[in-house]
Amino acid sequence: MKRKDFISSIVPLGALFTTITAGKIPELEEMGSQIPAYLKFGDTIGITCPAGYITLADIEPAVKKIKEWGFEIKIGDTVGKRNFTFGGSDEERLKDFQQMLDDDQIKAILCARGGYGMVRIIDQLNFKKFIKKPKWIIGFSDITIMHSHLNRNYGIASIHSKMCNSFPADWNLAEPVQKETIESIQKCLAGEKMRYTILPNGKNKTGTAKGILIGGNLKTIETLAGSKSDIITRNKILFVEDTGEYLYSIDRMFWNMKRTGKLADLAGLIIGGFKVKPDDAGEEFGKVLEDIVLDKIRDCNYPVCFDFPVGHQKNNFALKCGVKHTLSVNLNECFLTEII
Amino acid sequence: MIKFPPYLKKGDTIGITCPAGYMLKEKAQTCIETLQQWGYDVMVGKTLGSASATYFSGTDEERLNEMQAMLDDESINAILCGRGGYGVSRIIDRLDFKKFKKNPKWIIGFSDITVLHAHIFATCKIPSIHASMAAAFNDGGAENEYILSLKKMLAGKKNKYKIEGHLFNKQGVASGELIGGNLSLLVHLIGTDSEINTKNKIFFLEDIGEQIYAVDRMLYQLKRSGKLDELAGLVIGGFTEMKDSDRPFGKTMDEVIKELLSAYDYPVCFNFPVSHGKENYALKIGANYQLSVGKKMVQLVEL
Repeated sequence: MKRKDFISSIVPLGALFTTITAGKIPELEEMGSQIPAYLKFGDTIGITCPAGYITLADIEPAVKKIKEWGFEIKIGDTVGKRNFTFGGSDEERLKDFQQMLDDDQIKAILCARGGYGMVRIIDQLNFKKFIKKPKWIIGFSDITIMHSHLNRNYGIASIHSKMCNSFPADWNLAEPVQKETIESIQKCLAGEKMRYTILPNGKNKTGTAKGILIGGNLKTIETLAGSKSDIITRNKILFVEDTGEYLYSIDRMFWNMKRTGKLADLAGLIIGGFKVKPDDAGEEFGKVLEDIVLDKIRDCNYPVCFDFPVGHQKNNFALKCGVKHTLSVNLNECFLTEII
Repeated sequence: MIKFPPYLKKGDTIGITCPAGYMLKEKAQTCIETLQQWGYDVMVGKTLGSASATYFSGTDEERLNEMQAMLDDESINAILCGRGGYGVSRIIDRLDFKKFKKNPKWIIGFSDITVLHAHIFATCKIPSIHASMAAAFNDGGAENEYILSLKKMLAGKKNKYKIEGHLFNKQGVASGELIGGNLSLLVHLIGTDSEINTKNKIFFLEDIGEQIYAVDRMLYQLKRSGKLDELAGLVIGGFTEMKDSDRPFGKTMDEVIKELLSAYDYPVCFNFPVSHGKENYALKIGANYQLSVGKKMVQLVEL
């Protein structure tokens, strides 16, 4: 069977939806979710660097592809700027992002790349104008801070996806998965209802859940605890991914999630890609990722789906944070479906 | 009400257990002999030099049961953790401190043991000792001033540490309860039952082997969670074996800390000998200290 983690727009949803609602699903939390306007042909997307630096040449493939989709591009001042690891000083990155938030001509903000730096500016950003007229903010990894912040404080949806640095330099030479994942950003922006099919993992916990989707990079989520951007997971479908961490460190992060109460009342849990740093010799952790996760949620009954195509990998589909989804984990097949 | 454990008398017993990473028994031999020379009996738990083949010194149950037994055993007067590593977070919520609360005893260690210190002070208001562990006694360590500061502390004598000034220090005098430990663990505890309260405290931090950007991110977490707002004073210990990213961060560790602290007025001392290096004075978490940061000298004195 061909690995089916491609996306299709939802045609056969009616049938699926009926099946789901026939089951017993807990009431959705009545929390307002604000969805920014989807983009129309000719709308402008701003590109900015709130974290790490990137060169103008490095965003070229993204600019070209997005223009092919029929959108205009506005390149922010921070693109091509460099202050050591950052795309400009804190002040420069803040100013660029603020302008894009406030500029009515810009209908979506694509972060050029992650790295590190969003946390250094987020408390100085002014969301007053943005919350009256929200727009899509797009990115992942360090940008997880923004997704969590927007969801917690304003209930505004945003897009967790690849950024400029993941657009293939030569589209014709790109692998199908690269194309599909990049095109999933376009589908999100255009307002298509998203549906993801995931091959089952023997360690999955079956079941069906409905809830607002939220999540991102696990390490980043852990570092938000106690802050104004701390993630609220109650009654939500949580997804996490990470890269370059030791297993012991992943274990410690899941303990943090458990001990801060973030795993207790989920609707469902999605485990994306974890690029694990190999154990040092003599320091073998002796547990696999799946067991590290399941250990922490022995008392929980919600569905759990491993190997979801999200993370620091080619197989990284765009997800709408802050939007209601249905997670359906069955023995033979798993789905994540945006609720209409 | 803070309840201090009784200080040790000759003939008292110190238990050694490994609640986190694996440790060879040989590596604790000098420590055991030194504690005996100090006049204490030593009881060695099975987790030290156990048959465990994993990262840990034993399974969660083995480590938990041994720590619990040592907490509850009245013939044990202090517990020295053999080493840190990683593992206390996995057992902390299952430890029962009921008996320990009535009959507190000194718990000694640092690094991963920060979780124990923070948890015990947050939930029981019982002081504990942030200090070097068994391996630090090796290679002549048993006679250095850092290990001797632990010896003095266990016997109930108050320590007075004097160090040289640092260009980035912020002068002033502060007094308050001491709280702190390993930065990575302290931020890992935010939002849990073991979270530290830093209000009006003298706060100390150290870490090892982190990327500079990661330390910056942790400091931002402290700041954003309000942990730096109402300190009496701040003691920056050693940040050893720091790494920089391929794209350099562009600032030294000290500069990163200095920059973040520019918004605060309390006294700050850099380069205090509390670290994963040899320089690691014993510090009594929960005890009252006075921090005096002068132009040339810094003193940290237990009151």
